[in-house]
Amino acid sequence: MSGVCRFFYTQQKESMGTSFFHTIGRIFADIGTAHREKVIALTSVELNELENIFALLLLGSFVGFPAPPTFLSVELLPFMEREMAVLHQRAGDASDMLAEMVGTLGID
Amino acid sequence: MTTTVVIIIGFLIYVGLYFTYGKKIERDVVRASDEIETPSKRLYDGIDYVPAHKAVLFGHHFASIAGAGPLVGPAMAMCWGWLPGLLWVWFGNVLIGSVHDYLALMASVRYDGKSVQFVATDLISKRTGTAFYWIVFFLLILVVAAFANVIATIFVKTPEISGASIYMTVAAIILGILIYRVNMNLAAATIIGIVLMSIAIWMSTFLPVPASYETWMVVLFIYIIIAAAIPVNVLLQPRDYLNSFLLYFGIAIGFVAAIVTFRGFEIPAASTFSPILLGGKPTPFWPAIPLVIACGSLSGFHSLVASGTSSKQLSKESDGLFVGYGAMFTEGFLSTLIICAIGGFGYTAIQNAHAAQAAAAAAKAAADATAAGAAAVPPLALNLDNWGALYTKVSTGLKLDPANMIIQCFADMVAASFLAFIPTKLVKIIAGLWISAFALTTLDTTNRLARYCLVEMLAPLKNTAEAAYGFFTNRWTASLIPAAIGIYLAWSKQFTILWPSFSAANQLIASIALMTGAAYAAKKLKSKFAVMAVAPAWFLWLTVTCAIVWFMAVVMPGAIAKAAGPGWTVQIIMGIMLLLNVLFIVDFIKSRKRGDDA
Repeated sequence: MSGVCRFFYTQQKESMGTSFFHTIGRIFADIGTAHREKVIALTSVELNELENIFALLLLGSFVGFPAPPTFLSVELLPFMEREMAVLHQRAGDASDMLAEMVGTLGID
Repeated sequence: MTTTVVIIIGFLIYVGLYFTYGKKIERDVVRASDEIETPSKRLYDGIDYVPAHKAVLFGHHFASIAGAGPLVGPAMAMCWGWLPGLLWVWFGNVLIGSVHDYLALMASVRYDGKSVQFVATDLISKRTGTAFYWIVFFLLILVVAAFANVIATIFVKTPEISGASIYMTVAAIILGILIYRVNMNLAAATIIGIVLMSIAIWMSTFLPVPASYETWMVVLFIYIIIAAAIPVNVLLQPRDYLNSFLLYFGIAIGFVAAIVTFRGFEIPAASTFSPILLGGKPTPFWPAIPLVIACGSLSGFHSLVASGTSSKQLSKESDGLFVGYGAMFTEGFLSTLIICAIGGFGYTAIQNAHAAQAAAAAAKAAADATAAGAAAVPPLALNLDNWGALYTKVSTGLKLDPANMIIQCFADMVAASFLAFIPTKLVKIIAGLWISAFALTTLDTTNRLARYCLVEMLAPLKNTAEAAYGFFTNRWTASLIPAAIGIYLAWSKQFTILWPSFSAANQLIASIALMTGAAYAAKKLKSKFAVMAVAPAWFLWLTVTCAIVWFMAVVMPGAIAKAAGPGWTVQIIMGIMLLLNVLFIVDFIKSRKRGDDA
């Protein structure tokens, strides 16, 4: 009986040890991911703005913005559902940019 | 007391209080629950609102809040002895700074990822939201002034570091080209970038770039204007990326050296309550400590960072403690490292610098026998008994101002450990590059941010004075204003005025953000443990207000007498911020009354 207990204890200890190193490795991997994402953080902000401009150019006629012919916008509308939602969300966030800029630019 | 013991105690305090005090705030004040969907899931769009793993978010958040601030402040605070500053870094961080970061993050999460500024506008008043732009704008000017001064003093003392900074700038530009133009694989480009950075450090050992303080002021002014105008992927982004490797390397070798050195502290634990520090005046520990130690213990910028990007990517509410609270602890740990370095090696560094100065004077006198004016250097006046009275004056006189003191002591600490095989000169360059690279990145970004602030602050002029609005928000004018005023202030070389001014603005934002978080806990959450947020918020507001009043009344008159132009500029800026602070507390009290009546 003591041998069985010893066996399960060893198994548990090994799995705990493996789990501990796995966790440490995962933490380092995730910090590495964050680090790599930071490389593109500012460029992605610029990309977002280009996307906003593109969406406005395409769909601006719906909000009175001089844009390409309405029939073109209507043709593209079914494919732009997600972009419309993102644009709507960003319009709401546009008046609250200070914190996002501080965070993205890493001023501290 | 040894460096090893302090590092271990610091680690245990932070870990222990994370799992006790931090968990209590999470459970009883914020009442974080994984059953409440965070904005990253509820508003998921795959672009801006995307859940991230907590370690990824921690890495993002920590990299955004880490900078030169947690290094320089504790070095200045050594005049009180090593213990008072350390206690502020430990307990000020746990009880105020980390609570501030965490509450800002969680309030933002509960407000659909909106910033702490938005939350303040909603909970307190519209005027409070507007005040953020004004205080941040002044803060940016003072950041330029303080950090430009730090960079220039490092460059003047050690021209190898200026050389390394210039060559690293070139390395960053090359890395940017490799990543964004050549589209090279990121891992390969990273390896090349690190190799180029190493070459830059190596080149600086035999190709330093010496120049005077004034020359560096002009160079930094031009640099700020140009750097703010070019696309971010040319310089800012790749250099920020390379800086992170410096940060991790510096933390790693500093941590290892502090642990294995077993060096006893050679400066007094506590000197006096009011040593000579800011503006050459006796500086009381309370209320002045937040003006000296900023980012390692408490920083208003962190509330903006937490509520800007981190809140939109928090996967579940229980991750908030690790990201907001935990990242600030890590920053405090960084400051602990600096206190260990200076506590253990600071007095020796001063003695060595004094001996070198005496030897140089003696050599000069011997070489030029006819020089009647070659006065001998008097013996070192600083000792453990008069530490508070003379530390700042003597160390500055020996060109061991805070930034250079950090570099020297960090290098000495590494040299005293098994890492001594790394040449001391190289460690000094790496330590100096660590501080200057982060400070340069900060200068890079201030103008970009200042332009945005100006546009928002001057919005009321848009229809009433269109020409003036157009002029001030023009991209070049908006870049020139903060850069010109900041460099003008830095030209005065009054570090003990510039740094506390910058800290005051920073802590003012922290005070408003923490009050906002406390208001959220009390009004919206109606938590009976809200006192854990409200009490530190009021203490902080009172401390920062008293500190600013003391600074303007006691310290600034002397600074104005020395240099009227920069002195009055700082005094006016501080006066406007004090007024905004008073308006804020009036609005805060009114909002509490509105809440009670409702």
